[in-house]
Amino acid sequence: MTNLVLLFISTVLINNLVLVNFLGICPFLGVSGKLESAFGMGAAVTFVMTLATTLSWLIYHLVLDKFDILFLQYVVFILVIASLVQIVEMFVRKFSPALYQALGIYLPLITTNCAILGAALFMVSKNYGFLESVIFGFSGGVGFSLVLMIMAGIREELKFADIPKAFQGAALTLITAGLLALIFVGFSGLVSA
Amino acid sequence: MNKIIKGLWAEHPIFRQLLGMCPTLAVTTTAVNGISMGCAVIFVLTFSSLVVSLIKKIVPNQVRIAVYTVIIATFVTVVDIVFKAYFPAISKSLGPYIPLIVVNCIILGRCEAFASKHDVKSSLIDALSMGLGFTWGLLVLSSIREVLGFGTIFGLTVMPKGYDPLVVMILPAGAFITLGFLVAIMAKLEKR
Amino acid sequence: MKDITRIIVVLTLTCVVCALFLALVSSVTAERIKDNATKNNNDAITALAPLAQRVEKTVVDSQTLYKLFDRQENLIGYAFLAQGQGYAGTIKIVAVLDSGLSTLEGIKVVESVETPGLGGRIVESFFDSQFKGLSVLPAIIALKDNPSKKNEIKTITGATISSRSVVAILNKRIETIRKALQ
Repeated sequence: MTNLVLLFISTVLINNLVLVNFLGICPFLGVSGKLESAFGMGAAVTFVMTLATTLSWLIYHLVLDKFDILFLQYVVFILVIASLVQIVEMFVRKFSPALYQALGIYLPLITTNCAILGAALFMVSKNYGFLESVIFGFSGGVGFSLVLMIMAGIREELKFADIPKAFQGAALTLITAGLLALIFVGFSGLVSA
Repeated sequence: MNKIIKGLWAEHPIFRQLLGMCPTLAVTTTAVNGISMGCAVIFVLTFSSLVVSLIKKIVPNQVRIAVYTVIIATFVTVVDIVFKAYFPAISKSLGPYIPLIVVNCIILGRCEAFASKHDVKSSLIDALSMGLGFTWGLLVLSSIREVLGFGTIFGLTVMPKGYDPLVVMILPAGAFITLGFLVAIMAKLEKR
Repeated sequence: MKDITRIIVVLTLTCVVCALFLALVSSVTAERIKDNATKNNNDAITALAPLAQRVEKTVVDSQTLYKLFDRQENLIGYAFLAQGQGYAGTIKIVAVLDSGLSTLEGIKVVESVETPGLGGRIVESFFDSQFKGLSVLPAIIALKDNPSKKNEIKTITGATISSRSVVAILNKRIETIRKALQ
């Protein structure tokens, strides 16, 4: 149990997918303009990432590993993620129109979000067990949402700042992300492996 | 001619379109890594564009993205296997960022926006142009980070002996900040 | 209906063709990939124990242990591959122990995905040379200050976790080997 809690904390704060592994940078730059949309994107990613790591774990260990066809790993993982996103989208649209209104437009974008595939691949390379993988997927999503929302909060404030023209937009966002990454380095002693 | 210049400058995938950020930031700790990643992307991009352009007429519209993704994932696996077999050291230092080329938006983006609508020859030119543009972007970023962060370039010491490497350049923060400045410089150059 | 058939046929064909292609590429290179890993480990053992002329494979606690013999067929030590969790992922270490199981002849980190420039420096010689001639009785201790005892090493500045992981991985494996052999 303690292990799982530590895994959660370390995945959210120390090994943050965005700030340490550079995963999910595209939505991070694209959707971090507004706090509201950042929240929607974060929730959608957390949801899909948890499902994706769970499903990928099962497929990796019960199918790919068993039949010795690990070379199909990337093809299978990306198909799993793409179909998962499709199914989740159809499911949410049918059963919860309210949730669909909130998350709908972010769902199709998630297939090409490298954080999802990244999380699935890291899960394999770190040899996580089943429960650990589920927690890893969930906390990876939480970490992504946390950073996305912090960033959105900062960028909403930055709108009123007087910024040199060349730095406006992506350049400033990247530098802000850099400073945020430096701050997160401070968490690195929190949990020792 | 314009078609070739496009990817190298005017529509540069990294500095102008901000595509493929994840490998751009993650693997550019040393110049060798930057070049290797660039080559891997050129390979995958060229072959995926070629195949997509060849089969564009027989793929039904509804499943085209799925088909393109499978094709890309296949070529990425080939790169991964080849690196593991013939360049094990590079394969280890690029780690999970080779498989992550699958979701590199440059590749799916070019297949969808260009190769699926053009003939084989222009698709190949487009892929090479974008791939080379991506590679020189990686090379610039990784050279800056390697020189400041390790005091070396391609493993050769270039900084004077007393130089104390700026470890922050190797850390994720250094990647973000350096890229931020490069994007700003490119924006400034554009306006002239 | 015709559309659906076409979709299914194209998707299935793509997947089958891709899978066959990959199976081919993978079968051609599989042997070589396996050889790379073995060669890497063997090179490390040779570098750490230059006197070893003959290597004998045994299994201890379901993991391989190599007995090293010199030209006169005297047992000069044991080589083993130890692995465990580091800061960012799995660390694999090749290490050589003397025949009395009390001193390390040396170690080589053969695989790590630790942060470049920080934890990644565990592969550099300034770090692993500390393990040459290091006493492993009692277990190795990692210190932030300069070591004063025979079983102590200094961690890398800014990479305490990675350095400690290396020590922990070694200690654990050495203990199981010692228990099994004595």
